[in-house]
Amino acid sequence: MQTEATPGQADVSELDLVKRCQAGDSEAFDQLVTRYRTRVFAMIYNMVHNEQDAWDLAQDSFVKAWKSIGRFKGKSSFYTWIYRIVMNVTIDWLRKRQIKAGGAEFDDSIQLKEIEPASKTVPKADPLPHQRMEHREIRDRIDQAIAQLSPEHRAVILMKEIEEMQYHEIAETLGCSIGTVMSRLFYARKKLQTTLKDVYENV
Amino acid sequence: MKTFEEKWTAWLDGQLSGRELVEFESSLPDLAAAEAEKRNAHKLGAFLKKELGSQALSNEEFFNHQIHERIARENGNPSRTTRSTWWTIPRLVWSGAIALALFLICSVAIMRQHETGGQSEYLTQILNSTVDPAANPNATVAIFETKSDNKVTVLWTEGLQTLPADYAAK
Repeated sequence: MQTEATPGQADVSELDLVKRCQAGDSEAFDQLVTRYRTRVFAMIYNMVHNEQDAWDLAQDSFVKAWKSIGRFKGKSSFYTWIYRIVMNVTIDWLRKRQIKAGGAEFDDSIQLKEIEPASKTVPKADPLPHQRMEHREIRDRIDQAIAQLSPEHRAVILMKEIEEMQYHEIAETLGCSIGTVMSRLFYARKKLQTTLKDVYENV
Repeated sequence: MKTFEEKWTAWLDGQLSGRELVEFESSLPDLAAAEAEKRNAHKLGAFLKKELGSQALSNEEFFNHQIHERIARENGNPSRTTRSTWWTIPRLVWSGAIALALFLICSVAIMRQHETGGQSEYLTQILNSTVDPAANPNATVAIFETKSDNKVTVLWTEGLQTLPADYAAK
């Protein structure tokens, strides 16, 4: 997996950094944060669709990782381990927000046909004046489609398609079986294929 | 035993091979339609990767700095908070008690001074002159003061032989 390590940092192995962190070296942890911050932030952002929330959740995840780094035994990669924390923090947050909002935000039982066909986010036939605006509109469509998935389905599709993680890595991260991962992937793909068909076929 | 969903996903991601692949493909009612859907799924994957894979984190250094601060705060704060609570409350109580005591002492002192200052100089001088045993050996002096707002003072003298010239009726 790609990281943000600079050439100097790349010399230091991840395991060495983890060991130093376990000895209380916060500078070593700073290096680990630097390696993974962009990927962690992007992953959370794709789950919650809000920059400030993503920033806060990424911070919470790293602080939690620091607190529990003593329990990291090195059985999996540090990346998988921290992703597990990230997913727990983010899914918990999404669930709490769902409860607060009365469960309206996402619901897997929502039929795809219920999505307003003429909603304002549907790309218009006429080209938009600015490419940026067009991109924003596409992004809104994707966010809207992902928002309809449950947190677990979001996590699975994003880890597979964006992070290109293996089934077993996703299973380890989410603490479920490989079969569950494959099953969730099946339904998440089906749903997004239907919801976003008009977008990805025209781009 | 894998479910259809699991097999489909594995087939889509190219994870099926050999006999398993042949068996699965032969079980599909319309292989051409399934292949089209597979291409669609790959298209979707590439589309998501392109659109969502480039979310940048702004203020990266500040991000690290904030984490560093939070860790430092969470490491150091609990004991400091406890200690400051333990020390602040008694200090506040003692400060309050001392301030109250000082206020009371000052008030009493001022009131007493005020009362003493209220006695006339005239009366003091008469008393000084009348208690001179040489001039008035049998004199007795009694003073009555009211505590009312009028501040009436009655001076009762008996056996006074002489009155100082300064205070004699003119």
